[in-house]
Amino acid sequence: MTAMLSIRNLVVRIDGKEILKGLDLEVGTGEVHAIMGPNGSGKSTLAHVLAGRPGYEITSGTVSYQGRDLFALAPEERARAGVFLGFQYPVEIPGVNNVYLLKAALNAARKEHGLAEVDAFEFLTLVRDKMKLMRIEDSFLSRAVNQGFSGGEKKRNEILQMLVLEPKLAILDETDSGLDIDALKVVAAGVNSLRSPERACVLVTHYQRLLEYVVPDFVHVLVDGRIAKSGDRTLALELEKRGYDWVSGAAA
Amino acid sequence: MSTPLTARLIEEYASASQALPSSGAAADRRNAAIEVLRAQGLPTSRDENWKYANLRVLERLRFAPAAGAATATRVSVSAADMPPALPDFARYVYVDGVLSATLSAPAATGAATVTPLASTPAVAGAATPALKADERFAAVNAAFATDGTAIRVTAGTGAATPAGIELVFVASADAQAGASYPRVAVRLEAGARLTLIERHLSAGSDNSFVNSAVTADLARGATLQHYRLQDLAGRAIMFDTLSATLGADASYHLHGISTGAQAARSTLTVRLAGERANLAMAMAALGDRAQVNDMFALVEHLAPGARTTQTFRGISAGRARVAFNGKIVVARNAAGTDSQQSLRGLLAGAEAEIDVRPQLEIYTDDVRCSHGATVGKLDDNMLFYLLSRGLDRDTAQRLLKWAFLAEVVTKISVPALRREIEAHLPGALKDATLQELL
Repeated sequence: MTAMLSIRNLVVRIDGKEILKGLDLEVGTGEVHAIMGPNGSGKSTLAHVLAGRPGYEITSGTVSYQGRDLFALAPEERARAGVFLGFQYPVEIPGVNNVYLLKAALNAARKEHGLAEVDAFEFLTLVRDKMKLMRIEDSFLSRAVNQGFSGGEKKRNEILQMLVLEPKLAILDETDSGLDIDALKVVAAGVNSLRSPERACVLVTHYQRLLEYVVPDFVHVLVDGRIAKSGDRTLALELEKRGYDWVSGAAA
Repeated sequence: MSTPLTARLIEEYASASQALPSSGAAADRRNAAIEVLRAQGLPTSRDENWKYANLRVLERLRFAPAAGAATATRVSVSAADMPPALPDFARYVYVDGVLSATLSAPAATGAATVTPLASTPAVAGAATPALKADERFAAVNAAFATDGTAIRVTAGTGAATPAGIELVFVASADAQAGASYPRVAVRLEAGARLTLIERHLSAGSDNSFVNSAVTADLARGATLQHYRLQDLAGRAIMFDTLSATLGADASYHLHGISTGAQAARSTLTVRLAGERANLAMAMAALGDRAQVNDMFALVEHLAPGARTTQTFRGISAGRARVAFNGKIVVARNAAGTDSQQSLRGLLAGAEAEIDVRPQLEIYTDDVRCSHGATVGKLDDNMLFYLLSRGLDRDTAQRLLKWAFLAEVVTKISVPALRREIEAHLPGALKDATLQELL
């Protein structure tokens, strides 16, 4: 069976500075992986590079997604092929309606798979259904993308988009940061509702708090651009207890 | 300070004037206008308020009106060239500045009357302020105009909805054959209300010269919603002068969307002459290829407690230049003035140019004036966010351009007109969801 995501010796620079220094990661279909690590270790860089954000120089390494060369695809092609990035800082877009974006995104993916545009009524039913799960108010439907949203609303909107688009590979970049405990539970419920043997999820997080609600199959610790340690969920608990210095020291 | 260009204009006038309609008053008007031009000359790019305009195009055109030219060289304009009719609006169509009875669809508009300008004694309404130096193209219009329209709405008629009038100015003649001179005088009596749509479009030649002059005079408590849509063909030349005077408690909503022509220049002057007068100006301009789209807006606060909100959104692509120069002058007795300017430009091409310039001249202390002016490119973060959701690059860029203009478009309160613009504007997506929800 092909892996969902296979990263080999990935080296990435920003403005000439090496951030990822030979990263290897294998994510199997149906698995949930957590990537933890101290600030500046390269977690967000990894998430952005996988989604295709410009401004990163990939100097070596390969990434294959469902057997395809991920770097051969433009960001929008990755999205349509089922890669979803949940942003740490979701972008406000005044003048563009939430529902319009959702519909355009869904139709772009459907077109890729040879499907007709979604029926307007079915679409709204689907969106309302997922909004209920994410505890998003009706007024959302008439608002602009993330404009004036609180931090928690923005994160819930990211997960709402994910639920509507049903990606094969979700990469969630610090989706838990800035959430109170109730919002965290809502977000976790959203992520869990999408867990299935056909999908995979990479959770990038600083704290293990989220992992109490979305239990990962594997935990990796990223230190200075490389995976320094991998294990099961107990690794996250140990990290919480002993701090990142414990791994940094071990890696040195 | 006569330039060769001005000299040629005066020569053209001398040879064309015999053929121009000239009842006594009209002849006086023409001669007075020519004397203004003889004394002042046409603006040049050395004039501070004209440096962004493309004035070179004037050297290759004919000032005498196309209406006076042999009709054989002119293209016939048909109903198919007209925009879709808007419900509840009386329509008047002018071809090269002359009313076309066959294309017009007048309707009863309550308190509003529409008459040929020539049949009204002078420019209707209160005393017409003397032309300012920046209004010299209105003098060109006064010298050459062959027809004109006076719109008068009588005092406080208590109609449930404002009268609706649509003026469609069609340019069909080639600029070398002659010019088109739309001329409109609007007079709203106390408490009167009017929604006026003013369109400029092309049929036949894509290379017409249009020089329009519009005056609006709002008496106490009158309300004018004025939509100006300039969508001339790609090689057209458009100079327009709009002068409005507002009495006490009058309210003027001016919405302009300018997308066409190779060289367009709008000179807008609004005098807030009465206390608590209110001006809301929302303008959008698009430029692409080598277009030059220049607007100069002078707002004069001449009485206490008046208010101005001015919004401009311009997008420049290709090698185009889009400019908005917004000057607000607050006179000494205009205490309690409240003015807000928000001028924003979007650069959508490496060789494109945007100039946004807010200017404030304040001669009293008791004012609240704010202004913001920014020029930027499409936001990379916004673009990546949309791409990361699977939208293709072209759609994402159009959507962001659309969003940039939304602040102007959403202020259009005639639903059918707003839908038409949403469907038409470059950057708009012909998508029902967008139209319903934006």
